[in-house]
Amino acid sequence: MAVEQSLSRALASFQWPWQYEFPPFFTLQTNLDTRNKQMDAWCDLTLAYYRHIKAFTMDVNEAQSSPLFNNSKANRKLSVDFIRLILDTLEKRGNVEWQDTSKSRCLIMWRSPQEWGQLIYQWACDQGLGSSVCTLYEIHSGEYATEQEFYNMEPWMVKKAIVALAREGKAEYIPGTAPDDSDAGVKFFT
Amino acid sequence: MGAFFARLRGGGGGSEPPAGPSRVSEQDRAILQLKRQRDELNKYQKRINTQIEREKGVAKKLIQDGKKDRAKLLLKKKRYLEGLLDKTDTQIDNLMQMVETLEYTQIEMKVVEGLKQGNECLQEMHKIMSLEDVEKIMDETQDAIAYQQEIDELLGQNLTGEDEEAIAAELENILTADIPEVPVTAEIPEVPTHEPGALEEEETEKEKKKEQALEVA
Repeated sequence: MAVEQSLSRALASFQWPWQYEFPPFFTLQTNLDTRNKQMDAWCDLTLAYYRHIKAFTMDVNEAQSSPLFNNSKANRKLSVDFIRLILDTLEKRGNVEWQDTSKSRCLIMWRSPQEWGQLIYQWACDQGLGSSVCTLYEIHSGEYATEQEFYNMEPWMVKKAIVALAREGKAEYIPGTAPDDSDAGVKFFT
Repeated sequence: MGAFFARLRGGGGGSEPPAGPSRVSEQDRAILQLKRQRDELNKYQKRINTQIEREKGVAKKLIQDGKKDRAKLLLKKKRYLEGLLDKTDTQIDNLMQMVETLEYTQIEMKVVEGLKQGNECLQEMHKIMSLEDVEKIMDETQDAIAYQQEIDELLGQNLTGEDEEAIAAELENILTADIPEVPVTAEIPEVPTHEPGALEEEETEKEKKKEQALEVA
């Protein structure tokens, strides 16, 4: 209940694109040119929506009834196949990663791991965490990160960001001891 | 195209970074372990906090319903939970103190390492600059200075009183030679006796007379 309330409050300030009120937008277009444009608009809208509500995972069946794909005012909603098509396009763009082969759940990255990594790295430098270790929990739930955009970010996204930083040589990922890797750590290098 | 590469780099699921020599030391792992325990305590505190909130809510409702005794029981439980929170805070402080100590000791180790390197370098340089060498060089320098003094003395002895006079005279010459002498026998033009214009007329007359004389001849 509380989650739904905060969601509707967050959505009150969301700027829907004009297409959202345009019924044909909810039907897959046959003309290839129009369809590409439609797909681009849907991809952008999906990412903007997820960025706005600060969410990182999508359950396709649940998403069908979310305000994103279901405009109750216009009485239009997307089919599951259409949603999958959008997500597949986003996957090609590198913004989506399927979590299962049946494509029912996926991760949505409205900011690339590299971009998140950069933000976290900047924060770590500001905190004077250079060349010291900290836990991933400290990054997404720690008391020093409450003002950060990545506060309350899902752990898998933090991990991806750190792995991206590790590729640049700015950090080293330290695997955790728990089976789900929830107690992993990171060492930053400045 | 860009998206394709972004996918190549960003994709691959939870792939681990390329293997290389780990820059994570044993101390780092120890600190991480302490921080993990702190995280656990933090999570525990969050849980206790929600529990306290719940008990508070239920107690309020019980009071409204007139079940004072049960409400009292719940408030007692709440009190107990709050005590737990305080205790956990102390534990977190303990853990963090340990982390600080470890981190500080790491810094001290780095300082010692730096001093050690400096010391080694100093010793290395001292080896190059051995005492005997320095002594020898200083002796040789002393000898050279003494030799130079001897030369100076020898040169000084050769100069007699006459030499001194000659030197003084030469110096005088050089000093006076630079001043140009005033010429004594310079010819000074005579002062004119008449007006410049009158002279010219006289001369033209003289020339006329000469011409006349030539014509006559």
